[in-house]
This record gives sequence, structure tokens and C-alpha cells, in this order.
Amino acid sequence: MLKNYIKIALRNLWKDKTFSVLNLVGLSTAFAVAVLLGMYAFFELSYDGFHQNNASLYQVYSTEQTPEGIVSSVPKSVPFTPALQEEVPGIAQSTRVNSKGVLVIAGDKELRMSAAYVDPDFFSMFSFPVLRGVEVQSTKDLSTVTITAHAAERIFGKESALGKTLRVITEGEEKLFTVNAITADFPDQSSIKFDLALDFSNQASFSYASIKDDWSKENHEVFVQLEQGVTRQQFEQATAPFTQLHYKEDLETAKRDGAQPDQNGNYKQIRLLPFQDRAYANFDYGIAHVDKAMPYLVLGVGFLILFIACVNFINMSIAKSTQRLREIGMRKTLGAGKAQLFFQFWGESIFIFLGAAILGGALAASFSDSFKTLFSTRATFEAVFSIKVLLGFILGFMVITLIAGGYPALLLSKLGTLQSLKGKLNLTRKNRVRDVLMVIQFGIAILLISGTFVLWQQIDFMRNKNLGYNKEQVISIPLNGKRSDSQVMHLLRNKLQAYPEILDITASNNSLGLGRDGSSRTSQMGFEYKGRMVTTHILMVDYDYPETLDMELVAGRSFKRGHASDSLSVLINERMVAQLQEKNPLETRFIIDDSIAYNVVGVLKDYNFQKLNTSVAPLTLFLKPNWNMHYAYIKVAPNKAATALPLLEKVWGEIEPKADFLGSFLDENVDRTFKAEKRMATMITSGSILAIILSCIGLFAISLLIVAQRKKEIGVRKVVGASVLRITLMLSTDFLKLVAVGFAIAVPLAWWFAHNWLQGYASHITLNIWIFIAAGAAALFIALLTISFRTIKAASQNPVRSLRTE
Amino acid sequence: MLLQLNHIYKWVKQGGKRVFLLNDISLQVEEGEFISIMGPSGSGKSTLLNVIGMLDEFQEGEYNFLEESVHRLKEKHRSKLYKEYIGFVFQAYHLIDELTVYENIETPLLYKNIKSSERKALVADMLDRFNIVGKKDLFPSQLSGGQQQLVGIARALIAKPKLILADEPTGNLNSKQGEEIMKLFKELNQEGVTIIQATHSESNAEYGNRIIHLLDGSKTKA
Repeated sequence: MLKNYIKIALRNLWKDKTFSVLNLVGLSTAFAVAVLLGMYAFFELSYDGFHQNNASLYQVYSTEQTPEGIVSSVPKSVPFTPALQEEVPGIAQSTRVNSKGVLVIAGDKELRMSAAYVDPDFFSMFSFPVLRGVEVQSTKDLSTVTITAHAAERIFGKESALGKTLRVITEGEEKLFTVNAITADFPDQSSIKFDLALDFSNQASFSYASIKDDWSKENHEVFVQLEQGVTRQQFEQATAPFTQLHYKEDLETAKRDGAQPDQNGNYKQIRLLPFQDRAYANFDYGIAHVDKAMPYLVLGVGFLILFIACVNFINMSIAKSTQRLREIGMRKTLGAGKAQLFFQFWGESIFIFLGAAILGGALAASFSDSFKTLFSTRATFEAVFSIKVLLGFILGFMVITLIAGGYPALLLSKLGTLQSLKGKLNLTRKNRVRDVLMVIQFGIAILLISGTFVLWQQIDFMRNKNLGYNKEQVISIPLNGKRSDSQVMHLLRNKLQAYPEILDITASNNSLGLGRDGSSRTSQMGFEYKGRMVTTHILMVDYDYPETLDMELVAGRSFKRGHASDSLSVLINERMVAQLQEKNPLETRFIIDDSIAYNVVGVLKDYNFQKLNTSVAPLTLFLKPNWNMHYAYIKVAPNKAATALPLLEKVWGEIEPKADFLGSFLDENVDRTFKAEKRMATMITSGSILAIILSCIGLFAISLLIVAQRKKEIGVRKVVGASVLRITLMLSTDFLKLVAVGFAIAVPLAWWFAHNWLQGYASHITLNIWIFIAAGAAALFIALLTISFRTIKAASQNPVRSLRTE
Repeated sequence: MLLQLNHIYKWVKQGGKRVFLLNDISLQVEEGEFISIMGPSGSGKSTLLNVIGMLDEFQEGEYNFLEESVHRLKEKHRSKLYKEYIGFVFQAYHLIDELTVYENIETPLLYKNIKSSERKALVADMLDRFNIVGKKDLFPSQLSGGQQQLVGIARALIAKPKLILADEPTGNLNSKQGEEIMKLFKELNQEGVTIIQATHSESNAEYGNRIIHLLDGSKTKA
């Protein structure tokens, strides 16, 4: 019996080569894409899943009520964690983590690496297994360091790293360490990344020793593991006395400034975020908001593609079934039961699906490398593979086969014997199913095309937006060498003087956009001003900062050499002026750290110093030429952009021969900040292209069948005088109606999605109906093109030929 | 007695009116009979055959087949019944295009869940008997009409039915081929198979030992 079925399935597939190929191509492409997108989505969703203690691991953060609303803050002060562990019950273990880029020197090697300064509990809380040696935890010797296997190879090559020494320079301070343990490399899905782990107290005194008892300097993250049986809510409630005790002043200030307490009457609340949610958390709007929309969106696109391919399959199977009516009828008269027929036709579907799945799997495997490059992801099959995922895929496959293959099989097996023997079939009901499915198909395609248009427009908008500074002519260089930053700046200025194409040089302690060093930071402070609390972002700059970056001064002056008092002068932006509520900002002075008074000497026009999805925040610029400057900014003459980078690289090599040159133009750095958007845009674009291609494959197949079914009608119409154009039009309108309905359904949805997405951007394009009309028109045009292949040919056939076949 | 029809009525509604396809048909068929049903197009020959073959329903009347009341049986039992006892031969042969001669003949056995070895023996006998062993691997489209109908009859006989229902079995054949098929039916009948055939042709009808005339769904005394 089975052999008979397989035989007939194969022969049928072979007989209808066009359909088999269309189905196989469509389904296997869809499977491949679904597998790749699924891999990506599962990878993105599996961040930090590898820690065994995940159920009880949390990140600590706090929310504060301010007159402007609820604000969250992640960084904590040095004395915070020891006090929290001692005073609030329920903590099993805790660790402070401060990650920063450090310079590692071993032998004649000088490497920029990422160091995590952690407390002893770190390695027993998180699952970073030690391969060789002992963890930081088990030794009280602070002069030891734990490094990852990858870092060990970078520093010491093939030699064993255990017991070797290395020097670490951080924030201008150098210390010697002995390697006492090597950890296994952790999965790519780890949100905590480090090359070296050092004891927390080993930070530069600026970050640790000098602020050991200072509750107001918050510079690192805190993680806790709760004791068994303690819930997050219980713990959060239990922190109230702690907050009352240690943040008394803050609470009073908030009350005085007119902030509204939260529903529990608190002005400040310490909160926990489940550690596994850390990679998805957004702290921008108060209480952490866990957002996994992006990976789910990708998964959704994968499903939509799969859906479209399955619809094709269903529609083609049903349309094709008219050709097999006689076989169905005959089998019934020979004694075939409904179940037997169902299994026969379903089996044929499984055949195609299995072939498509194997082919699709092979496609996915062979394209996984290009996929990884295209979407710059580190997702791999190995990283997400687990028995659960495999079972999920198998289950998903079976469900798809059951529905897409089972539905037509069910329809066919239910046909009446005589009716099918005569080859007559009442098609009206099934046409409705087909129409609905096709409407959904085109709706999806139009939805994705609209999404593509909106995404690219927004990216284009952000890229071309005037950010308030010159990003085309300015190169930023991360200062990642061994020399002190002020020394490097001095040398740079001296050496570059000779070159006329170098127009200006300056430095600051923060980057604009995302540099090639890949790091970004935020520094904020708050102070009392006229009996109110004001908060501002702060930036330490060298001389010529606004000039180098072509920033506009709306009032006052920039910092000037020779003005001795400028070390106590600041520049502020317009948002800061608004916050200070001063009509005449140039006469403003404010006191920071209880004693030092700063004068506002100039007001800068607001410029985007953060990511482009945020609106400009208050900013204060301090003149600190001898600070830890992190980045040099160099403006080059407009027509020398091409030669400037090699020149700077050469000069850099003379100053810091062992440090990599990571200079890049600012427009490149800005582009890098919306990498996520670009990746999403590429994904949705490829998704929509695929969706429209697959929909058109389906449409093409259906048009083949419809035209074949209406051959006689076309012949008769031509004989009585219809023109080729009229017949083409007649055949096309039915399909175009479906596209139109799909359009009507998709546009409101697309508008709603796009609108919500754009709300995440402080400045964004305004949605325009033409975007959607363009998407609809594109779909309509492509659909028309697809069916015209067949319809025009059918319409221009000699009617005698089509009539004779009857 | 093989089967008995008592006052069978079958109609369809057309514009609110009943149009009778079968009008008060009563018929008794004994085992071993060879009955020819005659009548012009639209007289109800095929409908009557389909009713007897349990492929079609009727609105009124009783139908007993081998002590079973067909009109009271559920679909499942009916199909079990005709699978067991009835073989069909059609004017248009209705062979499955994608199956070879051998496989076409084998199909009814598959639906009766007969073991592979037994199937092989049965099909081989049948091919032998009809002298089509050499054609067993050909597809229906590679055969002449007469040969296709031969395969159709072989397929109808393979499950050893008590009754063969033949709807214009020679309608698509030329006279020589038709004569051969009719002779074959006669032989089968002599071996004990009951046959009911619908036909237009007087000469073919003569092969039967009883002729029933139909006009507009009613039996007429010809």
C-alpha cells in the first residue's frame, strides 16, 4: 500500500513538473529563511541563559521620583553593596561589576582589553567555569588576575599563562598582577563580557579608593543572588529602611522640589531586574522595561514567509486537485475509504514538505555564513541548538505539514464518488478559501514592503539629520596607548602643526557616535541651584572643542587660552539653560561639590551628543585639558578627507607605536549607532522581497490553472469578438481585486506598527500616506507583471485551438 | 437471490419541481443472471446502475443486497459491502493514469488489505487469463481502448465479486473490440458471475438473458 502511494506520489510530482518545482523552490526557500531567522531570533532571545543560578540572579537598580517624573539609575556607589548585603535580609551573594577598557602590558606586548572589576562572589554567582587555577574568590591575594582562555592566548600565545605576570594600566595607574586562573571562553550570548577579571579594589583610586565612603559617586553595576525562597517583591519592600537611612538627603530634596511619591509613598525605590532580562532592559523611562520585540519581530517575519509558502502550497494543491478527480472517484469505487484517501494525499504533501525541509536545511546551512555577515550577527546553529529547539522544529514542521498538507487532503477525501468520477466539482466554496489566503499573502507582502520603506526613510533621515556638529570633516581617535592623554595631545598638536590640511585639534572624555573602539559612556551629575536640584550630562573637553566640531555658540564665548579663570568656566547647551530657568545665562554661576563655583561663559546650540533616538539632554562642558581624555578630535580640510586618515595613522604610529590606530570619521561613528536599525531594515527588506517573490510564485501558479480552466471561455469570448486587451483585463481584474483587498487590510496595520516604532525616536519622519500607496502600487505592479505572462498569452491564443481541445 | 429493489424513487429538484430520475423501479436479480438495461440517453440507466452499485443514494424505496438492507446501512458499511461483492466497469475505463496495468489491477486488493504474496499471485493469474502479461508495466495511455477496457474488467474481477456492473462497457470501442468484450462478459457469466450492463446497443443487449427497458426513469414493457 505504502509503496503504491509513494509511487503514485512520485509519478504525480514528475508529471506536474512546473508545480512541483514551484512548490519545492517556494517551500525550501521559505524553510531556509525560517530556519535562519529562527536561529537568529533564538540566539537573540538566549542572552545570559547559561548561568545556572539565573532563577535567583538580579541586577540592582533604583528609581527616583523627580518633578519631571520617574527616573531610573543603574550605577551604584562603592559603599552601596556592602551596606545593602549587611542591612537588608535576603541576599545570598552579591558583586559589584565595573567593566572598563584597560591597557595590558606583558613582555613587549601592549593590548587594549576589557577588564571587569568584581567582588569575590562573582565567580560563584555567575557560571564562568574555571579551566585551570583558582578563582579570584578563593584567594585573598589582591595581586592576582583571572583571564579568559581567549585573552590568555592573545597575551601569552601558546604558552601556559598560569603564574605569569602582566601589568594593567587603568585611568593612568599601573599595577602588576599574577595570573592565577583561566576561565573557559563564555558563550557569545553573555551580556557580561571581559578579558580579565580583577578584584574590585584594584581600580584606580579615582574610581575606588578616593570614593570608598562616598554615596554620591555612582560608577558601577551591582548584581545580587537572593537567598532561596526570597522573592523579588519581598526584597524590594525590605529595602525601604535602607533607602531611608542612606538616601535621606535625596529624599528630602525630591520632596522639596515637588516630586510626587510613588503609590507606596516612596521617593526612591531600590529595584531588582531578573538577570536574564538584562540584555533586553531599557531604563530610559523609569521602571526597567524588558523589550524582546526585535527578536520576536524577526521570528514573526520568518513565520510570515513560511505562511506565504504554505498558502502557495495549499492553493496549488486545491487548484490542481481538479485534475485528479477521476482518480479520487475511481479509488472510491474500488473501495478506498476517506481515511485511506486522506492519508494518500497527505502523504504526498509530506513528501514535498520533507524534500523542501531537507533542501531548505541544506540551503540554510550553506547560507549561514553569508547570513552572519549580512546581518552582522554571531548567531550560529551550535549556539542555539538544544534538544528542546530541535523538538520544537520537528513539532513545528509536523504542524505545518498537517495543516498545509492536511487541508487539501481533507477536501479531496470528502468529495462525493459520483461527482468526482464525472470530474465536476463545485468550486465556489473553495475559491473563497483561496481568495482569503491570497488576500492575506498580499497583505503580508504589502505590510513588509511598507515597513521597509518606513525603516529606510527613518535611517536616511537620521543619517542626513543636522546633528549640530561637523561630522564629515572631523576624525575621532580613541586614545588607547600607554602614554598619558595630555602627553599624547601635546605630541599630536606638535607633530600635526606641520600639515596644512589639519585644521583643528581638540579632545574630550566622551565619544560622538560610536567609535571603532566600540565603547560609549554617560556621565551625569546633579547639584543644587537656587534651592532646586538640577541634573546635567557632563563632558570634559580640551581647548578648541566647539571650534573643531563647528558647534554654534548662541551666546557668550568659547574657552580661550590665556584666560586663567577658564578652568572654572563652563559652556552649557540650550536645554541646560532651560533647566536653569535663567533669562540671562551668561551671568549664571553654580556651585559643585559644596565649594567650587563655576561661571557660565557661553551657550552652545543644542547638538545630538547621545544616540539619535533620544532627545537632547542638558549638557555642561568643563575645560579640563589634563583630564583623562579618551578621544582626540581632529578637523581636516574638506578636500583632504581621503589622505587624512593615513596621515594620522602614520603620526599616531610615531607617538604610540604599540597601540592600534582606531581613528574614524564622525559620520561613520554616527552610522554605527544605528546599526540595530540598519540590521532590522536589512532583515525586513529581505523579508519583504522574499514575501513578494513567494506570493508571486503562488499567484503565477494560480493564474496558470485559472487560465487553463477558462480556456474554453476565453475561446468563446474571442470568437464573439473580444479583444486581446479586454480578455487580459478580464483575467487580471480578479487577481487585482485580491491585491486591493490585501492593501486595504495591510495599510492600517502597517501604519500602526510604523507609528509605534517611530515613537521610540525623539526626532523622526512624519508618516505619509504615499509611503503606503507606494508599497501597494509596487505590490500591484509586480502582481500584474506576474499574471500578465500567462494571461496575455492565453488571450492572444487562436480561439480555434482552445475550442478544439474540448 | 442476489439483490432486490422495491419501489425505488430518486429525484432532483429543479425550479421547485421534482424531476424523477428513477420512478418506482422494482427489480429482482438472481445469482448467475446476465441482465441488460436498455434505454435512450437520460432514461436513467446509469443512475440505476449507480444505485445498485451503492455509489448513489435514492429518496424512497427499499434495496436489499444479500440479506442486507442497503437503505438502512451507514456509508461505511455500504462501502464495505460493495468493496466485497461488486466490481465496476466504466465506459471511459477510468484507469488511474499514473499507475501501470499491473498496479491498476492490484489497487482493489490494496484496499482489501490482502497480503503482498497473495496479491502477486492473484494479479499474475488475472494477467495470464486476459493475455496481457506482456503489457503489465505499461501505462494506460500506452494501450488501445480495447486493451484499456480489458484492464478495467480485470481490475473489476480481481476482488472476486459476485456482481459486475458495467456502464456502457463498449461505448468507446469499435465494433470488433466491443464484440470481444461482450464475449468475455458472456464467458464470465457462464462461470457464475452475475452481470448487469447498461447499453445502447440492441446486439450487445442480446448477450444478456434478460433485458430491462427504461424510459424517463421508469421501467417499460418493451
